[in-house]
Amino acid sequence: MEIPFVVTPRKDTGLTNSKIAIWLFLASEVMLFGGFFSAYVYLRVGASDPAGGYPWPERALPILPGLINTFVLIASSVTVVFAWAALKLREWRKFQCFMGFTVLCACVFMVLKGLEYNVKFHHQALRMSDGAVVEGHLAAELKEGVDPHGEAKADDYVLDHKGNKIEENKIYVEAAGLTFNTTRYYQDWVKEFLTEAKHHDAKITLASDLKLSPKPGAPAETVVPADTELSLEVLAKIKNLHLAARANNAAVRTAALKKAWVAAHAAYPGKRDWEISDKVSIDPKELEGKMMEEAASVAFKIDPPAKLSFGPRDVKQGETSSALRDGTVVEGKLLESPMVFHYVDAVDFRYTAQKAVQKGLDPMVEIEKSWVLAHNPEIRAAWEWHKAEIKKLEEHLKAKGQEPTFTERYRVEWKDFVAKAEGKPRADREKVIQFKEQFLGPDYDERAKVHAFPSHLEVPREQIAFASKFTPAWNPFYAIYFTITGLHGLHVIGGALVLGYYLFRGKKMYDTNPEWLANRVEVGGLFWHFVDLVWIFLFPLLYLM
Amino acid sequence: MADSPEQIRKKTKSYLAVGAVLFLGTILTVLVATQEWLDFGGHGFDFHDCIIGLCIATVKASLVAAIFMHLNHEKKAIYWIFFGSFVFVFFLAWLISLAHGSPIFDQFFYR
Repeated sequence: MEIPFVVTPRKDTGLTNSKIAIWLFLASEVMLFGGFFSAYVYLRVGASDPAGGYPWPERALPILPGLINTFVLIASSVTVVFAWAALKLREWRKFQCFMGFTVLCACVFMVLKGLEYNVKFHHQALRMSDGAVVEGHLAAELKEGVDPHGEAKADDYVLDHKGNKIEENKIYVEAAGLTFNTTRYYQDWVKEFLTEAKHHDAKITLASDLKLSPKPGAPAETVVPADTELSLEVLAKIKNLHLAARANNAAVRTAALKKAWVAAHAAYPGKRDWEISDKVSIDPKELEGKMMEEAASVAFKIDPPAKLSFGPRDVKQGETSSALRDGTVVEGKLLESPMVFHYVDAVDFRYTAQKAVQKGLDPMVEIEKSWVLAHNPEIRAAWEWHKAEIKKLEEHLKAKGQEPTFTERYRVEWKDFVAKAEGKPRADREKVIQFKEQFLGPDYDERAKVHAFPSHLEVPREQIAFASKFTPAWNPFYAIYFTITGLHGLHVIGGALVLGYYLFRGKKMYDTNPEWLANRVEVGGLFWHFVDLVWIFLFPLLYLM
Repeated sequence: MADSPEQIRKKTKSYLAVGAVLFLGTILTVLVATQEWLDFGGHGFDFHDCIIGLCIATVKASLVAAIFMHLNHEKKAIYWIFFGSFVFVFFLAWLISLAHGSPIFDQFFYR
């Protein structure tokens, strides 16, 4: 089939069909990204609301990788248009060179973006109950007696049943029993319980006989005897019995209700449903001998009680019983489950200060009361150093009639910790940043040599208001950052695939119909320029403002 | 649209010039955002920096659209399609702004 108007323009529009199509697509893209840019603007404006706002993370992203990525995209935009020009001039080799460089730029962009994401996904943030925010890297759990401040060897770490190190951010329960929701239990967690129990030489068995009636009206009989060991098969059997009973009971109740409606209509002829709805009720006699016993939950005991660990997002912990997200209840004493930072690389009091100002209190007094300053001398020392540096900055800016920013006042970040350790004034802090650290975050091993970062901070669970890695969950800035840059990254990958196709599979078309290929490259190039255009706004918005 | 070889060769020079302006514009944006001697308005990031940064970005984006995407000499249909989409973007943004004054989003309303 011949595709019309791929080389010659249509008479009515004066354009080739593919060109009209790509511009329609780009118009839809403008609306898509426009929606996200609007979301960004409203989130940011909302954050600066003096009454209910929160500290927007200004310049939270490293500038250098963003800047390099901007250069990379600009360079690729130039080369893609050169590739198109080369095709128009019928210079295949030049086209290959320019298009090859464009695709290479796309790869470099994605690698840098991947590095940036990776650093964020491994960086821990914690907001404490008093509003202070601590950032850093979590420690792996050490065996008893190993010095947490010393250098740990490979066999000093506690390993889980899979042989992996355990990040010290787990909720531990001395579990004596598990009550499963028979329809909602999560199979992978059941397998985990079984493996962990085996690891602790404990058995999980049914707490008491499970008695259910085999058919409507029949007396209940034991379907699963007490002390039956937990397995997915046992849970599946109980689930099926429960669902069968529930289906029977629902049918019985529906039939009884229908009968009640018929009776109500007979008693009140001519009345509408809503007028007699309060007169309709199921007669208990209708249900007699027809209902079956349901088993919505089933209890197992763990003997001897075993120490089970849970991800903090999966459990709502309590002193004597905790509830998992799938409805499973874990009976047992909550053990000490602190979140342990191996290194702290930032302490942020902006939220505490903002709340204090809203309440008409002195922010510095409120910050002094914070748990982290009271419990970690290294962070306390860094804060005192920071206050002295801010005083110097205040004096420096006073001459110009300016003052330090809110972020400068209340946030001590990793560059400050390094500047303090190296005995440099705050004004010189930018010079301490190594090129590599701009991409990969602070080099902890290198910085440990000068004791730059406070190490080993144990935060009790009750002090934690919210904790997360630097993922979309952490705050609206990261939510919109990952959404927009993720979507933009997908466009880069899509564009690179299309341009790569022209590069590697375009020779045949070039030999038969070079103008058609030139038009295709122009269309692909238009998309690529749009990707660049979006980044031109993303870079200053996300990295510089 | 530059279609003859001579016209295309001539255009490539302007592509290079635009590329250079884009590089310089990016460097200028970073300098304005990070260097004290180029800090307009108050100390640190503020409204002035935001306006300057977005103005530079707009100039850069306009150059990409006009020269690289050939919007400086396109057919009318393209202008209608592309710029028409911005109407919807601003309309959507305006619709959201209406919600800002709505009491259901006002956290202090029910206190």
